[in-house]
Amino acid sequence: MSAVFAVYRLILLVSCSVVPLQAWAQYDVEPEDRVWLRALLDLRVVRGGAAPSWTDHGPGKTRYGGDSTQDGFERVTRFVLSQLAIEVGASLPGDVRAQVQVNVQPDIADDYTPWLTEAYLRKEWGEEPDGWGLQAGVMTVPFSLEHTGPAWSPQYTISASALDSWLWEELNLAGAEGEWWHATQNGLRWDVVLGAGYGPDQLGRLVALRGWAIGDGVSGVNGDLPLPNGTRMDTFNERDHRPALYTWITLGDADERAALKLGLLDNLGDQDTAGVWHTRLAVVGTVLHPHPRVDFIAEYLRGEAHVYNNSNDSSLRAFYALLSLHHQRQRFSVRYDDFRVSDLDGGHSTREDGHAITAAYLVEWALRHRIAFEYVWLDSNRPQAAVPEPSQNGWQLSYRFRY
Amino acid sequence: MYSLKLHALCPVLAALPIAASLAAGATVSGRVLGTDGQGIAQAVVFVQSPSDAETKVSGATATATMDQINKTFVPGVLPIVVGTQVRFPNRDQIRHHVYSFSRTKTFELPLYKGEGAPPVLFDKVGVVKVGCNIHDWMSAIILVLPTPHFAMTDADGRFKLTGLPPGPYTLAAWHAQSEEKVENTEQRVQVVGTDLEITFHLTLAPAKPRPALRGTRWDQ
Repeated sequence: MSAVFAVYRLILLVSCSVVPLQAWAQYDVEPEDRVWLRALLDLRVVRGGAAPSWTDHGPGKTRYGGDSTQDGFERVTRFVLSQLAIEVGASLPGDVRAQVQVNVQPDIADDYTPWLTEAYLRKEWGEEPDGWGLQAGVMTVPFSLEHTGPAWSPQYTISASALDSWLWEELNLAGAEGEWWHATQNGLRWDVVLGAGYGPDQLGRLVALRGWAIGDGVSGVNGDLPLPNGTRMDTFNERDHRPALYTWITLGDADERAALKLGLLDNLGDQDTAGVWHTRLAVVGTVLHPHPRVDFIAEYLRGEAHVYNNSNDSSLRAFYALLSLHHQRQRFSVRYDDFRVSDLDGGHSTREDGHAITAAYLVEWALRHRIAFEYVWLDSNRPQAAVPEPSQNGWQLSYRFRY
Repeated sequence: MYSLKLHALCPVLAALPIAASLAAGATVSGRVLGTDGQGIAQAVVFVQSPSDAETKVSGATATATMDQINKTFVPGVLPIVVGTQVRFPNRDQIRHHVYSFSRTKTFELPLYKGEGAPPVLFDKVGVVKVGCNIHDWMSAIILVLPTPHFAMTDADGRFKLTGLPPGPYTLAAWHAQSEEKVENTEQRVQVVGTDLEITFHLTLAPAKPRPALRGTRWDQ
């Protein structure tokens, strides 16, 4: 009996020394990470239009197109890695925040080379009602009203509008911007961004030579984009050493039910420097939340792109209106796009006009997973296109994992 | 729950618990002090190990509320007894997406306004960090405790635990920024007669949340 009692006492002692540790450990607060890692993986089954996509130097206007065969164009269904994005952030001394994002998009990059989408330092002063911030590094301008999802992906659909697709395709810069925000006593909120950066000296070249496209690819400063003539253009291309200037002004109500936005950009391209495009544009947009489950966005862009030693001067216009309804984890969105390019100098025509309707259904769960289906009806006309453009309609089924 | 019962026996077996002479329904009060001798606000003093049935979990239908007001969780620290259902009403006119990835409780309440979100049951003891998926800087802590005997300190660091039945108790102090392990704050008391006053000492680390992005370029 004494041996049994000794064992019992031993068990009791062990219980008293081990169990409390387990009980206490649960009160530890998970430390706030000074460095954090996020990732986004997007896998898709896609069936685009019959023509090869612009990403394959074809006339297709969506990100994924068909194949070119001896008998002509052929629609194909593919399983693709659409995007692998990795974000690394760090909280540095002085409450400076560092953030870096790289994207792997094999179809656009033509290989698995990671593109540096952004890399910046940011410091903010003040709080929610009033404050200001400074940011410096590699970034794009904040003009898109759709790229508000994880890793700058479109939030409401799989593919962004033609307008916002182009902004994220072709516009990269290295520079700095300041931001000031202020909430007034009568319930309005102002937000003003002023920025300057180097790099977009060929801004406008892609949309002039290719026309508008609908997709969700994001460029990087080390990236290059396919052109219809079989070549590629660098997205970051500083030639004249003049900075691009931009501003983004938001006026909204404190309840975030409505906001008006105005963006202006001029890359101040020097026409005396070889290969430089002088492009300036204005964007106006609105974001409305008339009901907690309803989002409405409309955005209009007007701009001009000039290159003096080549006859591709173009006027650019694009518009879209998007209505999105969501309930808990489900979202249904429909968007109308209208876009055109007008030739300004009568040379090699860059003229295009087209429109598209996009419908998407998205379901998220557990914050990390999303399945989405999207169908795009697209009709565009480029009189100078090398080949007649067949139907551009296509669909995508996407599974996205967010870490 | 089995581990908690075993743990409850430990103070009984302990050689010399601090004895006090307290009456039934006695009060244990005191202060939580920092290294500078000043009181620490928003600390939670709680009974970790009860010694009789009255202190065991009885809050299966208990409810608590954590509001969202001006893009802030209110309160920022919410102590509850295990088994409590917490509501998260959104008093703002904008939508929030409340979530937690904590091991103690993982949940999410997708985009909503008003009181449309269902209550969340917290059925495990521990710390739950709560955030908003839209507004990165919004954060709060729900401290899920094993017994209903807990109190949060006021601005002077004072607390008061009332209605403790006679018996031995293990008390502890917790604070979101405490550098002390909770087990190192443990104090054992024997409630048998008069009221008792005790003091806890904590060392707080400076609050260093992740720098927020409040402007146009919110964290996505």
